[in-house]
Amino acid sequence: MTLFVLRRLIGGLPTLVLVTLLVFALTRVLPGDPALLLLGEEATPELVAKLRDELGLNRPLYVQYASWAASLLHGDFGRSLRDHAPVGPILWQKLPTTLELSFFALLIALLLGIPAGVVAALRRGSAADAGVTVVALSGISVPNFFLGILLVYLFSIRLGWIPPSGYVEPWVDLRKNLLLMLLPAFTLGTALAGAIARFTRNSMLEVLSQDYVRTARAKGLAGPVVVYKHALRNAAIPVVTVIGLQLGGLLGGAVITEQVFSIPGFGRLVVDSVFNRDFPVLQAVVLFSALAVFLVNVLVDLLYAAIDPRIRYG
Amino acid sequence: MKKWMGWMMAAGLMLGGALAKTTLTVGLDSDPPNLDPLLSSALVDRQVQNQIFDKLVDLDENLKPVPMLATGWSVEENATVYVFKLRPGVKFQDGTEFNAAAVKFNLDRYRTAQGSRRAGELAPVKEVQVVDNLTVRVVLKEPFAPLLAILSDRSGMMVSPTAVQKLGADFGNSPVGTGPFKFVERRRQDRITLAKNENYWMKGFPKVDELIYRPFPDDDVRTANLLSGAVNVITPVAPKDLEAIRKNPNLSANVFAGIGYQGMFLNVNKGPLANKALRQAFAATIDRDTVDKVVFLGTAEPANGPFPPSSFAYDKSIPVPKPDLELAKRKLAEGGKPQGFSFTLTIAPGPVLAQLAQVYQAMAAQAGIQVKIEQVEFGTLLDRGTKGDFEAMAVGWSGRPDPDGNIYDFARCKGPQNYSGYCNPKVDALLNRARSVRLLDARRDLYTQALKILLDDLPYVYVYHPQTTIGLSKKVSGIPAIPDGILRFRAAGLGE
Repeated sequence: MTLFVLRRLIGGLPTLVLVTLLVFALTRVLPGDPALLLLGEEATPELVAKLRDELGLNRPLYVQYASWAASLLHGDFGRSLRDHAPVGPILWQKLPTTLELSFFALLIALLLGIPAGVVAALRRGSAADAGVTVVALSGISVPNFFLGILLVYLFSIRLGWIPPSGYVEPWVDLRKNLLLMLLPAFTLGTALAGAIARFTRNSMLEVLSQDYVRTARAKGLAGPVVVYKHALRNAAIPVVTVIGLQLGGLLGGAVITEQVFSIPGFGRLVVDSVFNRDFPVLQAVVLFSALAVFLVNVLVDLLYAAIDPRIRYG
Repeated sequence: MKKWMGWMMAAGLMLGGALAKTTLTVGLDSDPPNLDPLLSSALVDRQVQNQIFDKLVDLDENLKPVPMLATGWSVEENATVYVFKLRPGVKFQDGTEFNAAAVKFNLDRYRTAQGSRRAGELAPVKEVQVVDNLTVRVVLKEPFAPLLAILSDRSGMMVSPTAVQKLGADFGNSPVGTGPFKFVERRRQDRITLAKNENYWMKGFPKVDELIYRPFPDDDVRTANLLSGAVNVITPVAPKDLEAIRKNPNLSANVFAGIGYQGMFLNVNKGPLANKALRQAFAATIDRDTVDKVVFLGTAEPANGPFPPSSFAYDKSIPVPKPDLELAKRKLAEGGKPQGFSFTLTIAPGPVLAQLAQVYQAMAAQAGIQVKIEQVEFGTLLDRGTKGDFEAMAVGWSGRPDPDGNIYDFARCKGPQNYSGYCNPKVDALLNRARSVRLLDARRDLYTQALKILLDDLPYVYVYHPQTTIGLSKKVSGIPAIPDGILRFRAAGLGE
């Protein structure tokens, strides 16, 4: 087991190196000059040239990459081009926020998606099944920003129950933190809930038609025991795979959701750093996100073993 | 026992009421990038900086320089020397003294520090001399009329020399000034918290205990926060949202004249618009009143040039150009394209900008001119502007209180923001003269002469002056309407 994890992690290293190269290349391909943007209204050709020099943007690309990669190895993400703040602490400041948002979004997705999928599978062809399908497809297809603004309009402006946007750290005011997380987590979670519901339904239908389910029923086991212990557990593997793959999408969705709800997390950071061509911040955020997706997928592999005793990692 | 507890609770409530902190929250359209005046290059920075830093001079409602940290000034030696008398007894928020040495430190830092964004506007300054503890002489290389107006902006913001020496490049992340509010904390893309400066030199001010700035890049989100009461003030307000704010019994909307302008650069060196007659043909199709009514719902001021009506340089004898299809057709024929022509208008993203471009497109189409709209992200737009890689480009200017700041860098040969590539020695001579003359009428006359040439040559089509739009709770009072668009919270109050 430990060996498996180690092997997976080491196997992932080339991928990460590739990601750093890709991230670096992509930021440099973007049109637009950070020096020009930093100077904004005050840009003169001499100032731009001087600032590019100060920021080290005139060095050959491979030198810039090598110096970035070298400092990464030392755990140093560099300094923001915008205000000279070290990038590491900015990341640590934003990370918990996006993790919290993703956690609650996932929770909502699971709480809505799995029961809906199970019900739809058990009552295949019924009105409930049709209902779940329609709602799930809407959840997948309604864009995040639209749903977000709709929710703000309803709950914040019409009803006045929830502040429209913002973020308070849980250790400052837990109640307010949870209240503020509700709408964004719901917004972000719905698309995933839709996908989970669809997959759970299909997977359950397949399992429910298997012989061992019939055997279990024939043995006289109670309905719920058959459904939850025998069927759902076996149906869970494809669902877990989908969740793992969709978590990357969750990070992508967080970019838009954080924008709509003014949540100062990774998403806002990435948008801001793209617009300002703040290369060190942008590179660090993208690299970090890639790392997160990679780790989640390792975790999914481990979950397989937990769900299905037949899977063992030696 | 019960009675005793009742009394305690009553006392607690009274005490709580007396101690309740008043917090005013302001919603901006973006997160201010840099709070150090030395490095700041975005308009939005100034919203926050003006609360933390006092300036040598401030502006009144008519854009006239008024005393702030300088209590008075005199102009000597053919307008090449400005002598400033400083306000006594002023302390920086870190407790250090504000005096002539601090002014010299600040102006020298803006002029010479590495990466200074202020060096350009202070280039005419030759030397700053300390006369005594409260008197400073600013010696100029040549007469430079815009100086006072420039000192009412970031170049006149006085930062604590002690804090700069201690913090170096990180000063922008914990700024210290003499202003009514001191910096407490900033969380990127989330909030900037300022607290009342208890030792502010103007006794009894500021009135609120805490001032919080929050960025909401999306217009709808910003308005939603005001409507729900989560913030007390927002600026700017999207024109489409003004109605909803005015209808709300708890809110009001203020719209007042601004100092910037918007319009289009036309590339005079390449593409179809290098032909002057074709530039004139296109410009003749623009209906500025329609732009104001359709796109801005009456919140824009049709422009006759770069100077807004609030500026002394505004010449009301120059009419706002009216659309003239006959003229456009004549000019098309003159330019050798009687059937019309087509060109690409490059714009930055945003629903209002896109709508504006479509309105231009429809107007030009009436004369047979086809406008192709190309939307690129703002960084790319600036990049292509500097390289002259465009045919027409919609970029405006936030404006400066002195007219020089609205024209000098844009219209002179090789000016840093002269994206059109326009060069006319006659215009240059007029603009340089207008910088060195102090008499306002004489300056206006010079600007009018230059503007008449520009309106004929058309390197830029001036379309409108955006107005400052503020949405605020009716409980908020005491925010003066200064045309530079910056909200000053020194006297702001938050009633019940």
